[in-house]
Amino acid sequence: MGVLANKGEKVKVRVRVNGVWYERYVSPRMLLVDFLRDELGLTGTKVGCDTTTCGACTVIMNGRSVKSCTVLAVQANGADILTIEGLAQDSKLHPIQQAFMDNFALQCGYCTPGMIMQTYFLLKENPNPTEEEIRDGLHGNICRCTGYQNIINAVKDAAGRMRS
Amino acid sequence: MTYIGQSVKRLYDEKFVTGKSTYVDDISIPALYTAFVRSPYAHARIKKIDVTDALKVPGVVAVFTAKDINPMLRGGVRPWTTYLNLQSFRYVERKAFPEDKVRYVGEPVAMVLAVDKYSARDGVDKVTVDYEPLQPVLTMDEALKNQVIIHEELKTNIAYDIPLKAGDVDKAFKEADKVIPVEAINERLIPNPMEPRGIVARYEGGNLTVWYSTQVPHYMRSEFARIFGLHESKIRVIMPDVGGAFGSKVNLLAEELAVIGASIRLGRPVRWTATRSEEMLASNARHNEFRGEVAVKNDGKILGIRGKLVLDFGAYVTITGGVQSAIIPMMITGPYDIRNAEVESIAVYTNTPPITMYRGASRPEATFIIERIVSTVADELGLDDVTIRERNLATQLPYTNPFGIRYDSGDYVGLLKKAVEKLGYYDLKKWAEEERKKGHIVGVGMAYYVEIASFGPWEYAEIRVDENGDVLVLTGTTPHGQGSDTGLAQIVADALQIDISKVRVVWGDTDQVPMSMGTYGSRSITIGGSAALIAANKVLEDMKKVAAQIWNADVQEVQYSNGVFTHRADPNKKLTWDEVARAAYSKHEPGIKESAIYESDVTSPYGVHVAVVEIDENSGIARVLEYRAYDDIGQVINPALAEGQIHGGAMQAVGQALYEQAVITESGALGVTYADYFIPTMVEAPKYVSVFADTPHFSPYPTKSKGVGEAALIVGPAVIVRAVEDAVKARFNRTPIKPEEILNALKLKK
Repeated sequence: MGVLANKGEKVKVRVRVNGVWYERYVSPRMLLVDFLRDELGLTGTKVGCDTTTCGACTVIMNGRSVKSCTVLAVQANGADILTIEGLAQDSKLHPIQQAFMDNFALQCGYCTPGMIMQTYFLLKENPNPTEEEIRDGLHGNICRCTGYQNIINAVKDAAGRMRS
Repeated sequence: MTYIGQSVKRLYDEKFVTGKSTYVDDISIPALYTAFVRSPYAHARIKKIDVTDALKVPGVVAVFTAKDINPMLRGGVRPWTTYLNLQSFRYVERKAFPEDKVRYVGEPVAMVLAVDKYSARDGVDKVTVDYEPLQPVLTMDEALKNQVIIHEELKTNIAYDIPLKAGDVDKAFKEADKVIPVEAINERLIPNPMEPRGIVARYEGGNLTVWYSTQVPHYMRSEFARIFGLHESKIRVIMPDVGGAFGSKVNLLAEELAVIGASIRLGRPVRWTATRSEEMLASNARHNEFRGEVAVKNDGKILGIRGKLVLDFGAYVTITGGVQSAIIPMMITGPYDIRNAEVESIAVYTNTPPITMYRGASRPEATFIIERIVSTVADELGLDDVTIRERNLATQLPYTNPFGIRYDSGDYVGLLKKAVEKLGYYDLKKWAEEERKKGHIVGVGMAYYVEIASFGPWEYAEIRVDENGDVLVLTGTTPHGQGSDTGLAQIVADALQIDISKVRVVWGDTDQVPMSMGTYGSRSITIGGSAALIAANKVLEDMKKVAAQIWNADVQEVQYSNGVFTHRADPNKKLTWDEVARAAYSKHEPGIKESAIYESDVTSPYGVHVAVVEIDENSGIARVLEYRAYDDIGQVINPALAEGQIHGGAMQAVGQALYEQAVITESGALGVTYADYFIPTMVEAPKYVSVFADTPHFSPYPTKSKGVGEAALIVGPAVIVRAVEDAVKARFNRTPIKPEEILNALKLKK
């Protein structure tokens, strides 16, 4: 692979986000989260820490959860991405979204999109996690409001709804 | 239909779970992006700032420094005039940029405005600043020496120095069987709401619009008016969704003055969203030390307390930094009947990021001090934690503490007994003792608190009934995660006896809500809810008048129940809520609209919390396994929301007690990432049990509620520290307790 782009040059990024193909010319240093938010207007994905610690920017890329604040948009070229905006189908909330609402699993809501996307990934990998597995699977997502117990309850609840 | 007391689901969650929430950085508006050039020195004279190269960076529109923005300002940041007496503080109003010297690492000295954030950041790299480094003042001890002065105009580093004295302290110490030295230290914290603060300022045609991640839009409107010399009527402050605040967003930053100044100067919208590092610089908290002594009788009765409290303000006064220095001393006797107390409260400037309030704001510090005192006395006299408290708790409520703070209602001793039973305190103690025999290092701790909540002076509410009978509640409070908006809807729906789905609550826009104080100090449900309840009662009277008009009857003849108006004398006459609402608009009448202001002082929630900790013998790392709370918060409006406040506050208490510390290096640099500052994750989260008093003592507010937003962070650190002491059998007077301290203490035991 040669040089991706010369200084100041933009590169083409083609990604499928929530089922729709987008094509944009962006600076090669643009972060995926800025691409989603600023280029595509998908502001549901939040930026909390810039250092891959808090998980507010979590999205699903090619089936894996990634923290989009430390992925370059060019790295996502050709990828299939799912963001919080793509989770509800035909205005029907995803069971995880419903479970978060029903279990008081959010307060300020800022960590919620990342928390829900990581839950989506966790439950895809492990449809019936134990409490310890939930804690381990979501420990990369920081919530400063809820104290986590209601989130754990929501994940258990969502897992149950998705299995049935 | 009754909503009060029910765990009604939060009304506005759907936008948050679907990604349609709108925080300030989500607002789409063609604006210039801002990045700040920040000082690498804790204390240095600014010799020269060269912006020439920065202006050549593609995309950069302007670079501003003090000389560009400060002359636009007629004032700067000063203490919170709602609650603080300006004359009590020595301070210099902080402007957008420092003109002479920088006073902390990270202080902004210039702003780069560019068409996108990447270009703005590039511009920052091209600004050259010449500094002449000065000796920094990094500790409170250094500051007190006054050898190096941070604000030359003040001629001292001491920002606040007011002694408080009540009763006959000398006599108390003379009569004591024992005088016990006490110490309580809170290290520096960072509130760290998950949404970093942000602002968008637009100035056009003489009107300034500010979208702002704040807790206090109206206060900020008046501050902007004062500082920029504009009429308040020309300023609109809009609080969009705010992603947590914990007190840290009652804060006006120099950066934010710069953004507004730039938008006025350029006549273009300008925006800035803090990075996490910038957020961590924006608001530090706590950092204070109490050292003193306590006079006791051998039976455990505490006669008096005296001591000195030293607090850090950081480099500049903030709106809320002074809250701690003023209120901690007044709360230092806690829920106990201690009549003799003397505290000197001294706040100093240091070359560190400025201090603001953080969840609890002064009550966590005061509670930590008094609970350390009480538990230390218990240990010294060989009493247990329950007995020592029983012997000292105030028994006659209402109770006015020696500094004049009035606790409105409660049964302190009764609650202690109840809490100990309901939380299974003694069973846990027994369990821990058995576990320790097996070699497990576990401990159980408890602490008591009384706080003051709600904080007047007043709050505003307005209620409108539209022609379809739907109800709009405009509240002066500014919910940003608590869910108190749902609580207000419950209160209004009950008062009007209508379905809650007919009620919508709005807040945070100074053009919609005419006046407000905001959300902080556990006040929204109690004082905001009381204003809403009064407005709702007025609305109901208005509706009755409309019904009376329709029937050509006297208003006294109109009855109302569950959405139906009836005529007292003629049972056949019935009108639904919606029909009356429509009628209110039919004859070119302006419809139904009422507003109310509720004025009041503080109210006093209180309770007992218990924690179970486990310590890893090899690493010394402590974990809170369980956190149990028993609180009398008066009328509980929504138990699930109230429990949520306990959970979240307790998690922050775990952080404060065990993990969180803002680290400042020898050169004065604050650690500004989540690798430097440890926020508890799901792995560290305890199991919570939250119980509310089964026979609550009401507040005198119309809602009868007391407030719950801060309780767990007010008492939690003292609870957890006590549990660690029980596990390790050593004394700890400082938060956070670090693993190495625990390991050292364990080694000494062996």
